[in-house]
Amino acid sequence: MSVGILGYGVYIPRYRINKSEYVKAWGRFAAAGVEEKAVPGFDEDPTTMAVEASMNALKHAKIDASKLNAIYFASTSSPYAEKLASSTIAMALGAPPRVSVSDFTSSTMAGTSALLMSLDFVASGRGSFALVTASDCPYADPSDFLEHPLGAGAAAFVVGKGTPMATIEASDCATIEALGERFRKKGEKSIETLGIPAYTQTVIVNTVASSVKALMDKTGRKPGDFSSVVLPQFDGRLPSRIARKTGFEEAQFISSMIVSQVGDAGAASPLIGLAKVLDEAKPGHKVLVASYGAGASSDAVSINVNEEIMKRKGSAPSVKDYLVDKQLIDYVQYLKIRKMI
Amino acid sequence: MAHVSIPSYWKTLPQRYCLIGMQCKHCGVINFPAREICISCKQKSEFEPKKLSGRGKIYSYTVIAAGSAPPEFSEQEKLAGSFPVAIIELEEGLRIVGQITDYEPEDLKIEAEVEAVFRKIYEEDKVIRYGLKFRPVKKRKPLS
Repeated sequence: MSVGILGYGVYIPRYRINKSEYVKAWGRFAAAGVEEKAVPGFDEDPTTMAVEASMNALKHAKIDASKLNAIYFASTSSPYAEKLASSTIAMALGAPPRVSVSDFTSSTMAGTSALLMSLDFVASGRGSFALVTASDCPYADPSDFLEHPLGAGAAAFVVGKGTPMATIEASDCATIEALGERFRKKGEKSIETLGIPAYTQTVIVNTVASSVKALMDKTGRKPGDFSSVVLPQFDGRLPSRIARKTGFEEAQFISSMIVSQVGDAGAASPLIGLAKVLDEAKPGHKVLVASYGAGASSDAVSINVNEEIMKRKGSAPSVKDYLVDKQLIDYVQYLKIRKMI
Repeated sequence: MAHVSIPSYWKTLPQRYCLIGMQCKHCGVINFPAREICISCKQKSEFEPKKLSGRGKIYSYTVIAAGSAPPEFSEQEKLAGSFPVAIIELEEGLRIVGQITDYEPEDLKIEAEVEAVFRKIYEEDKVIRYGLKFRPVKKRKPLS
């Protein structure tokens, strides 16, 4: 019996807005490589999206919520600045009162932070089963071009003892002090940027490249060893820039791309990207996931896909299942639904 | 759903969040919400919690027109205009009331298949009240 990923699930809200709506309103759409993006319904928030992704993950893992020892929730846009969302999720899933919970916030790398913490939770013997859910719908002022790529979505992973469908081989990180490439001051609703694209891009590309290099040094692996890589997708152009710096080919990251249909789902993006790769992965595949959080840090995680994955195929809705079920809205409906007017 | 105080909302969370009914140990009928006296055998029975699947069909529905929503739903009314409320016949046989969400007009049909989803119901005194609504089961695979 080993420790690893026992199952996963996603949720993407069914409302979508496409780039032509932004062009009509603003004359341009400032989100390279985004064709349309997911929009949470007026009765949805990161907590409700996390519940559906978690239900899918539990079903996929064939684990009953009553067995969970930990629930970790990751988001930059939790509905409460103080008050746990993970406790609401625990109750909605039917987890036992003894479950350990934590909310990971303030960073788009919160999803991978929580995933790695859940692995430590189980590996250290604190419990047998942990559920990690990253769910996000980042918010910016509609007059700011930074708002254009912001989408929504959730992913959840069950980590525990058993026969894992994927195992986390190793992880490493890179942290530097960076200023102003993306931030939200205490009490503010909107994320902001100093708006120096070349600087922002340099910080992201270099930080992610450093974490990836640290992971390669630790494991002795080369970029070519990975069947798929999941790179930060704040827009559709960034992954190729990071790939160029880190030595990955387009063929390696193409299957993880969700930003063109989901938008930037903040802390959830790396894990939705991983879910999409796992939807199509075969036993023996190696996957690298790299996240990025402004300020700045990056996690790089190396994952091995096991035989068990074949037994789980089709037992919960896939990323594709959610992508095809959609309803387009116009820009005015978008402003209303996101409470921007 | 009219205004519900926080303490009574809190006490009923298992039914509101997880669709937990109470099954009468005497006659086996599921009571939802929980009651002191069983709705079927009218006995002061013992009950045990029973999780309902959340799958069912629209038994009947109405559309709450703009201007007629209870005050706690005024924000929803402002955003969505009118909204549908249905009586759902669950596959376990009992009928419950809930809002229909993520729907298109053609989804509102008697006998249409629906499934329970966890959503924000309303916000009062800045506190978010979560609970279950029902969503048409369409192209996507059902949840459970």
